[in-house]
Amino acid sequence: MLLPFQRGPFRGRTSVSLTLISRFVEEYRSSTPNKLKVIDAYLLYILLTGVFQFLYCVLVGTFPFNSFLSGFIACVGSFILAVCLRIQINPQNKRDFLTVSPERAFADFLFAHTVLHLVVVNFVG
Amino acid sequence: MAHLCLFSLLVLSMVLETQALTPTHHLTTTDVARLQAVLSQPFTDLKSAYYSVVGLSKLGILVADADETCQFIKSNLDPSSVESLFYAAEASQALSGCEIPVSNDTRDLLLATVSEDSTASQIHQSVSALSSLGLPLASQEVVSALKARISKEDNVLTIILALQTASRLSQQAELGDILEEIEDLAARLDDLSGVYLQFEEGLETTALFVSAAYALSDHVDMEPPLKEDQVIQLVNSIFSKKSWDSLSEAFSVASAAESLSNNRFHVPVIVSAQGPAAISHSQPFLRLQVTDVLCQPLSSASVLVESASTSSSKSAILSQAPFTLRDEVFELNFMASQPASGYYQFSVAIAGDSRFVANHVELKVKVSTRVAINNMDLSVVDKDQSTGPKTTRVEYPTKAKAPFMADSHQNFAMAFQLVDETTGVELTPHQTFVRLHNQKTGQEVVFVAEPDSKNLYKFELDTTERKTEFDSISGTYALYLMMGDATLENPILWNVADVVLKFLDEEAPSTIQAKTLYTPKPEIQHLFREPEKKPPTVVSNAFTALVLSPFLLLLILWVKLGANISNFTLSPSTFLFHIGHAAMLGLMYVYWTHLNMFQTMKYLAIIGSLTFLAGNRMLAQKAVKRIAAEQSSRLAKYRSLR
Repeated sequence: MLLPFQRGPFRGRTSVSLTLISRFVEEYRSSTPNKLKVIDAYLLYILLTGVFQFLYCVLVGTFPFNSFLSGFIACVGSFILAVCLRIQINPQNKRDFLTVSPERAFADFLFAHTVLHLVVVNFVG
Repeated sequence: MAHLCLFSLLVLSMVLETQALTPTHHLTTTDVARLQAVLSQPFTDLKSAYYSVVGLSKLGILVADADETCQFIKSNLDPSSVESLFYAAEASQALSGCEIPVSNDTRDLLLATVSEDSTASQIHQSVSALSSLGLPLASQEVVSALKARISKEDNVLTIILALQTASRLSQQAELGDILEEIEDLAARLDDLSGVYLQFEEGLETTALFVSAAYALSDHVDMEPPLKEDQVIQLVNSIFSKKSWDSLSEAFSVASAAESLSNNRFHVPVIVSAQGPAAISHSQPFLRLQVTDVLCQPLSSASVLVESASTSSSKSAILSQAPFTLRDEVFELNFMASQPASGYYQFSVAIAGDSRFVANHVELKVKVSTRVAINNMDLSVVDKDQSTGPKTTRVEYPTKAKAPFMADSHQNFAMAFQLVDETTGVELTPHQTFVRLHNQKTGQEVVFVAEPDSKNLYKFELDTTERKTEFDSISGTYALYLMMGDATLENPILWNVADVVLKFLDEEAPSTIQAKTLYTPKPEIQHLFREPEKKPPTVVSNAFTALVLSPFLLLLILWVKLGANISNFTLSPSTFLFHIGHAAMLGLMYVYWTHLNMFQTMKYLAIIGSLTFLAGNRMLAQKAVKRIAAEQSSRLAKYRSLR
């Protein structure tokens, strides 16, 4: 028997998730510093590039396979490096990265990218 | 530990001794004849006359024209040369009734040569000449001169000459020291893989050593310190060469052969089978020739078979059976003991003289026989065995009258027995084949007939099973039985019958082509790897645009977020950093289009290090600014809180 103030179990799953999403977006907009938002935009760009490359492969074919691989790996690698940079720059994580300053994180990011580019360009053919 | 060493040494020596050596090389009668021919060549000077005359006398052959030879020697003699006197004296000694006139000067010359200052060869020649000419000599002086010579020159030839010289001296002289030299010399012989024993100086030296050692040993009547195996190894070395380079080499071999057949201590025995060592019913006697090294038969010997056993079972068929001597050949009727066919290991002992060396011989004897085929039954059997088999018996060497038919429902079978003609014992020869020959196409197929446990041979032909061997060609095949073995005297090729085979799925009979191995083969066209199909350019271009589109999105988002370059500090390190970074990206593009990894690494190292230094500077400046900003903000917050 349902009491007046209790909510039933199937009270619209979709609306619960919608509330969750809107709450999340609101939090993101307000509390994330601008620097991190810039990096997030970059991450989205990388993600989309990777997705479109994969789409091409699925639709048209894997020729030439090495080029596809190198492009895809470039996207994946860049995404990972950017995520690392974001983690290291985030002021909320300062306690975990006492020895790594944001500048140092950026320098590491650049160096890792150089290596990644070298490998990708070697493989793209 | 020492006991173990000693024990193992004892066991080893016992093992070595039980494996008595037998000569692997010896002179045959043709070799002896050849040696004689070499020594009988007409001589040109005194030296070759010496070698010929004395060499032939060692072989027991007298020179023809003894008088003429004597004249030749006398006319070529030079009384002022010791060497010439030596040759003349020795040669004349070998000829009967040849006397060399000797003057006092000659004698004095010869006696004067016997001193420490002369070479061993000179001493040997003068002593031999004196002895052959019947002139007196002082043995003790010779001995001391020889001993002095040996101590000065320790080479092998000197000692051999000393031994030869000592054998011409009086028995009262003290020859003990020189006798000991035999043992020392024997130790210097080189053992080649346990078969040969020779001096490194060569065959001639080894042969001269043998004759000198035995001459001296006979002279003093003391057994030379040479073991039986060593004597046999010396025999192998000396008689392994069957044609001789020089007269002196032939002479040394002849004198070694003479001393080995005539001395008082060791006489090597050569045992050889006359012809192949094979016995059969037509030839039941095993014949052996027992000779000394000069191929002279040893009639005083008694030859005995100690044991004769089959190579596989080692059970003795014969034991202690004597050979009988007939015409200088020892023979034994082995077939009398009715041996089964096969190979037998004979152990033969030669007795009769205590001087015999290598008188235990192992021989391999083959006993062959004739084979007979019994109970050859040919039959055609139905596969489903609805009707009984029709068997036809065929007698060797006739052929079956009617041909046999076999098609896919029937099997053709053959059974027979192979027995020894005389004893009736079942035989299993090495090769028993059944050959089917198609007369029209010339094709032949060979099968092996195998015996079962009762030694009955069976052969079955299943037409369906075997059709690949026949290429499914039906027709009349002539059936042959082929049989052979090393111990069979009558190998058999017997056309037993004709068989008509019918195969299912017959292909058109093609004549068998000779294998075209050496004609050019058909050319192989190389197929290059075809390039993969590329999608149409429109599609590729469209997708390229699609992939590049997120970049626009990025720029839009960045503008919306308010990303700016307001913090751009105008310092040289900043400029340098950005330029360097742009250069690195440019280098990546150039790498993609023109360069290889090594060149890129080189450029990257240069640009990278510049960029790194500039970037380091720039980021350090930025860090300083940031920390200063943080500190000031913290200070402001603190102040506002207060």
